[in-house]
Amino acid sequence: MKTKSVSIVVMLAILFTMILSACSGNKSDNGTPTSGGNSGGTSSTSGTSGGDEGSSPLAGKKIEMSILGIGGWLPSSLSVDMSPDFAAYAKEKYGYDVTFTFEEAPFTSLFQKAAASLSTKSQEFNIIISDSQWLGAFAEPGWIVSVNEIMEQEPELKNIEWFDPVVEKAYMTYPDGTDQLWGMPQEGDVMVLYVRKDLLSDPNEQANFKAKYGFDLPQTFEDFEKLTIDKYLKMAEFFTRPEQDLYGAAVQYSKEYDYFTGSLYPFIWSSGGEIWDQNTGDVYGVLNTENNAKALETMVSIKNYMPPGAENYGIAQITEAFTQGKLFSAYQWAAVGGAMVTPELQDKVLIVPIPGYEVNGEIRRITSIGGQPWVINKFNDEDHMRVAIDFLKWWYLPETQIEYAKRGGNPTTKAVLESPDFESIQPWFRAYKYSLTEERSRDFWHHPKYSEMLSVQQEAFTSYATGGEKDPLKTLETVACKQQQILYDAGTAKNAPPAACASVK
Amino acid sequence: MKGLAKSLHDRNLLPYVLLVPVLIFFIVWNVLPLLWMVGLSFYKYDITTGEPLKFLGLTNYKGIFENTGIWQALSKTFWFVIIGVGLETILGMALGFLFWGSAKMPGRRLALTLLFSPMILTPVAAGTFFRLIYDPVFGIANYYLKQWFGITVNFLGDAKWAYPAVLLVDIWMWTPFMILMTLAALGSVPKAELEAAEVDRLPWIKRLWHIVLPHGKFILMLGILLRTIDSFKTMDLVYTMTSGGPGNATELIAISLFRRAFEAFTMGNASALAIITLLIAIAFTSIYLYILNYKERRA
Repeated sequence: MKTKSVSIVVMLAILFTMILSACSGNKSDNGTPTSGGNSGGTSSTSGTSGGDEGSSPLAGKKIEMSILGIGGWLPSSLSVDMSPDFAAYAKEKYGYDVTFTFEEAPFTSLFQKAAASLSTKSQEFNIIISDSQWLGAFAEPGWIVSVNEIMEQEPELKNIEWFDPVVEKAYMTYPDGTDQLWGMPQEGDVMVLYVRKDLLSDPNEQANFKAKYGFDLPQTFEDFEKLTIDKYLKMAEFFTRPEQDLYGAAVQYSKEYDYFTGSLYPFIWSSGGEIWDQNTGDVYGVLNTENNAKALETMVSIKNYMPPGAENYGIAQITEAFTQGKLFSAYQWAAVGGAMVTPELQDKVLIVPIPGYEVNGEIRRITSIGGQPWVINKFNDEDHMRVAIDFLKWWYLPETQIEYAKRGGNPTTKAVLESPDFESIQPWFRAYKYSLTEERSRDFWHHPKYSEMLSVQQEAFTSYATGGEKDPLKTLETVACKQQQILYDAGTAKNAPPAACASVK
Repeated sequence: MKGLAKSLHDRNLLPYVLLVPVLIFFIVWNVLPLLWMVGLSFYKYDITTGEPLKFLGLTNYKGIFENTGIWQALSKTFWFVIIGVGLETILGMALGFLFWGSAKMPGRRLALTLLFSPMILTPVAAGTFFRLIYDPVFGIANYYLKQWFGITVNFLGDAKWAYPAVLLVDIWMWTPFMILMTLAALGSVPKAELEAAEVDRLPWIKRLWHIVLPHGKFILMLGILLRTIDSFKTMDLVYTMTSGGPGNATELIAISLFRRAFEAFTMGNASALAIITLLIAIAFTSIYLYILNYKERRA
């Protein structure tokens, strides 16, 4: 009897909890991209313009704004460093006082921090500096404001000319290939190559290199435009001298966040490979190809020219090794240029596009796009929404973007990038501008399942790089199977993983 | 109010009245979330897709049982617990006995304080320190390895070294806890029996087996139980050092759970895995209690 009573109680408890959980639900009543509905939300995006001087409904008010950005990342913190300029501008133009606070999280936990707040419909963070790949994950649950809606009300934002269509694709668009916009670019970024030009220009090094390999060391930006990966690897080999604590190259192999992936994709894309079929959502058969396996193998082979501990290398480790003079060259983000080119290395560093692949007689190079868009919290009240939009309008003024560039940020507007002196503002700007085009740079997927897909491949790639898996094609097949399943479960891919994936779980 | 005042004076009711605040707290912050999680484990709930809840029945559990990655993570976790807790217990007891027998040692208190200090560090801080210590280029561990043996070891980047390296940090952090438990256990032994054993010149192993363990076993077993449960859910220490890598060399079950909940945001799936790990932890507890009460049951 006692056992029976206990059993009944347990069953009732389970039934109760199932009902309780079902009743909570995920009320996506704010309009999702796939439903195409207009947003409801707690505040309207209509009529949020600050208006002309003296006529702003916020005149006389004091507003406190909060920005969530990336910890230890200069471009993020610049937005708050420059906020006093916006405060002065807002006071003069709109008549309100505004102060900014900056909350931060590292790349690896930024989305978690934002999601934890946004899922409760909080306006704890009024503006979020998101990584570009998170756009889908923010947009689908209805957490961020549609930029299309903002642009309908704000012609100033609608009429901004971006430097290249890739800017809109990478920092604004979700789903990929549509005209639905959810973010606006805060920081542009691409993977470039940092090279020690003092070593390149040394006559002894030049002579010895020519004698050994039969071609000249590239000296200028134009020389590096013609550089292929094969020749680059020879250069890396030549400058690898462990006895002098000098190593020829560096790429990111770390499992953290997207470090390995961001470094691998240029090799895949430049060699003619793809990571998925954007139209069908298929990964299997697209990612796991001989071409991509060779690209993965090539990328991991660079470990031979790297300092000990290469398997742990991420952004910070490469910066540290390069600034300590241990590296001849490094694949690294343009956004970190300020940290890479220290005062001691001021005249010793050349920043150029990454090496390309020779495909049908032409040099093909497609680098990874990094950078971050601004996204606006859907749950801002009317005042904070208004200020957020005013802030963005100010942000894209040419004088603001120029100031941002001077302080070390990477702007994305055509007006600034095509200004006569742009490339002379920072040493990496020429390579940045050269690479920030549709033909030469690409972003990862903006899919809501981005994090899950990234996690799967980071694990597999690092396993290959550390010898856990010996076959690069098998590595890619494992990734392709898992990602195909993820996208199939999400309804993006129409094809389930094939029978060959049965052993991959 | 009259009723409340009356209950405060009623000796039969008073204990229950005093327990009510704690019970409310426990129910609100422990029981209800647990029940919620149990219910959620039967649903598909992905935060980032914006889709409503979808009832799946046992599909989440089925998917977990069929996932070889989860079994590998469980295997790695079990070995982490067995080796980690085992070594912590042996070292902890040895050091505990050493300190117990050196009551008159100068600087004993300072030595104990320093010995206990790893225990009070947060795992994230400890993980960050050891990540630097283990660094192949800048780390002090490799500095001395190079000086003494002429070798460099990539502790956290080499799949065969990463697991022992993180395990070592866990042992370093939590051996002091077992020292503490040992000292407490020794403190519970009647002094008269210890003195009698000393007078009779009983070997230390027999003292341990016939005197110390019978009196102190409850405290020691409690320490082992707490360490087992804690070790089983180790996540932050390992995640800080290796993120579960290289590959999945140090992917413990708690890290897998973290990935499902806070990287993939598949809350239904993560809830199911959390329930399974909870049941495993309960099973551990039951085993220990069974062993602890074995002799009483036989009697």
